[in-house]
Amino acid sequence: MTDTAPIVRTEGLTKLFGTVRALDGLDLIVRPGEVHGFLGPNGAGKSTTIRVLLGLMKATSGRAELFGADPWHDAPRLHSRLAYVAGDVALWPGLTGGQCLDILGATHGGVDERRRADLIERFELDPTKRVRDYSKGNRQKVALIAALAADAELLVLDEPTSGLDPLMEQAFQRCIRDRRDDGVTVLLSSHIMGEVEALADRVSIIRRGRTVTSGTLAELRRHTRPTVHAVTALEPAGLAGAEGVAQHQSQRQDGHVDSRFTVDPDHLDAILGRLHTAGIHTLTVTPPSLDELFLRNYGDPLGSGAAPGAASSDARGDASGNAAGDASGRAPEGASGDPSGDVPGDESLAEAAR
Amino acid sequence: MLRIVARIQRRSALVWVAVLGASLIGTAASIAALYDTPAKIQTYATAVTTGNALVAINGKVEGIDSLGGVIQDEFGFLAAFLLPLLGISLGARATRREEESGRLELLLAGRIARHEPTLAALLVATATICATAAVFAVGLAVTGVPVVGSVLYALSLGALAFTFAGLAALLAQLTLHARSVYTWSLIVLAASYVVRGVGDVTQTWVTWLSPLGWAEKAAPFGDQRWWALAIPVAIGLGLGGAALRLASRRDVGSALLRGGAGPARASARLRSPIGLAVSIHRPATLGWLAGGILLTGMMGALTQQLLDAVAGNPALSEAVGIVAGRPMDGFVAATQLYLAIIAAGYVVQAIGTLRAEEAEGRLEMRLSGTLSRSRWLAAHALVVLGGLVTIVVCSSLVLGLATALSVGDTAELGPIVSSGLAYLPAELVLAGLALAIYGLRPRLFGLAWAGYAVMTFIAFLGPSLKLHQWVLNLSPTTHVGNPPVGAIETGALIVTAAIAVILVAVGFAAFQRRGVPQG
Repeated sequence: MTDTAPIVRTEGLTKLFGTVRALDGLDLIVRPGEVHGFLGPNGAGKSTTIRVLLGLMKATSGRAELFGADPWHDAPRLHSRLAYVAGDVALWPGLTGGQCLDILGATHGGVDERRRADLIERFELDPTKRVRDYSKGNRQKVALIAALAADAELLVLDEPTSGLDPLMEQAFQRCIRDRRDDGVTVLLSSHIMGEVEALADRVSIIRRGRTVTSGTLAELRRHTRPTVHAVTALEPAGLAGAEGVAQHQSQRQDGHVDSRFTVDPDHLDAILGRLHTAGIHTLTVTPPSLDELFLRNYGDPLGSGAAPGAASSDARGDASGNAAGDASGRAPEGASGDPSGDVPGDESLAEAAR
Repeated sequence: MLRIVARIQRRSALVWVAVLGASLIGTAASIAALYDTPAKIQTYATAVTTGNALVAINGKVEGIDSLGGVIQDEFGFLAAFLLPLLGISLGARATRREEESGRLELLLAGRIARHEPTLAALLVATATICATAAVFAVGLAVTGVPVVGSVLYALSLGALAFTFAGLAALLAQLTLHARSVYTWSLIVLAASYVVRGVGDVTQTWVTWLSPLGWAEKAAPFGDQRWWALAIPVAIGLGLGGAALRLASRRDVGSALLRGGAGPARASARLRSPIGLAVSIHRPATLGWLAGGILLTGMMGALTQQLLDAVAGNPALSEAVGIVAGRPMDGFVAATQLYLAIIAAGYVVQAIGTLRAEEAEGRLEMRLSGTLSRSRWLAAHALVVLGGLVTIVVCSSLVLGLATALSVGDTAELGPIVSSGLAYLPAELVLAGLALAIYGLRPRLFGLAWAGYAVMTFIAFLGPSLKLHQWVLNLSPTTHVGNPPVGAIETGALIVTAAIAVILVAVGFAAFQRRGVPQG
């Protein structure tokens, strides 16, 4: 195995639970040393994929490789090289946090004692408290510390920050960056955009058990359009009809002209020239957030049940305006697996996001 | 608020009233049938008042030479636990359990004062207790016990339950978890039981220190001290009042007695798969062991008295399930069968714990490390096996020693222990069944309990109901040979053990192949 061989590789992975198709031809590649964001709404198959990768479940068909080997047959040996944090952390209620840390540590390949002590301090965990008396966030911290303190080559994190407060979320992000600097590979499953955006080198977005799109953030953004918000002294000439501009809105405010629009990256320079001529007061150019990428990939009414609901509630977070504005004026060659249903879905999403 | 608590408690309250009512009336009816002449009652009274063992266990009943007295004596042991438990569960369920789960917070955000949930819990408990007492009184009167005595007896038991309801309500204010409420209430109950036993045996005022003593001293079939009811009622009201006062003053979610800090590191033993399995199974194992020892110790201590009683009243030997042979052997065999049922219950419950480990996500966490499935399951299977052997050997030893003390002869010790061990293969069949179901379809684990219920039914009632031999053969206990009355059937035991081994192997193989987790 060379250094560039993927740490995790799945090809056409399917998993049936009775008649329910949890995974439907899922492809995923995680390369050494990267933080890989694994995005999808609830029920998309993230946890099932991870369980197959850990050898806890057997795939119905398709291939799953972990460190180049079959996780179903080699689970314990492969597990000495990874550490895992489950989405719903469960510990032994009668034991203390410190005892749980050691028990979890004992089944990992090895624990760095110095890092363990340091992490307990960074996450402000009281290891002498019984698990029964811990809050959900504290139980999550125990699992995170156990995983981060392990001498692992791969961290598999399934929605690891649910229940953490923003301060601890920051601490978590710092720790993940530290681990990546040590050369550790991270598979980070999440539906928190900000977290993935802050940490991930590459992203795979899945829906209904299938990979919808995959690539670096820059690659994913190539197909989307930045949002421009400009306040100018005069009305910028011919902006509304200019090539590459869409969703133009403008209004007069306190003697200034307030314009908002999205622009094709190729035409950004020309448009900025027009704004300059009008006398720029303030100018913001926002790259499309992951929210938009996410919404874009879930904009399918066929995914009615969970997908739009989950996406719209996330969108309310920080970039809802952008998401709503961007939804209809986008390049049609989107990476969605089902282009025919793309547009109407976006409209419903745009509505939901408002 | 009252309506909410009543709604939460309705089902469990009904079950309590029904179970308690049925067990008292059942006891009363069977006693009325068994002791249908004054002469028989007299024989019983003489039998139970000679020696101290029965007095310590059932209490010292005043007016034992009447039908009511006999019922009070026979029901004494059960009542000493069931009625306080009724009070404890009613007191704890609607208070700390609700607070622990966060549901109470939701209610208190509405137009409900902080003390109201506790008050409502106490009122519902009181109503349930009154209903139970009414069922008792009517049931006894119908059986033919004098009405006044029946009413006083029912009230004394109700007052006992009320004291413990108050205690549980107060403890719910002091501790952080519903679990601790139960633990501390049960400790108080055990202490009360011991104090009452000591007082009754020594015939001193010590009995008056125990809530169980107050119920006994009301003497419903003797001097009928109505004023003795005032003590438990007053103390129950005092405890309940203190609980209300605390509830209205303290912060929601707080507790005076918090669990202390524990160790910050796990010992090397705890880090090993077996060590962790031991710590997971320890509480249940100790519980079942206590049950086994309580049963065998009690039966053993009673041997001599029972032998005397049987000599005087042959009907009695049938009532406790002894059919033929030397009464002493029959007595030991019956006890060993009870013990086998306890031990089999332990293995089914212990293997059911594995399902909880899986359903709550801890198994997934364990298996994400270097621990393989087979090692994890083997560690647990070994620990459960160790627990089973401990329960059987310790309880059998206690039975042997207690019997030896009672009859003053140690000759029975060896046969008693070996008949206990003879049941191991039968118990292991249940373990194998549970493990196979866990490996194949953990969702269907209820089948293991169904198997246990079938075995218990056949073992206890099969012979007396004269069921067909093939039905009796379904239960692994049938093939043991009913030692020491019959000889241990070695050949059958080997076959039974082989079946157990096959079932265990099926469980392991299936677990190796299935997905984790499966609820």
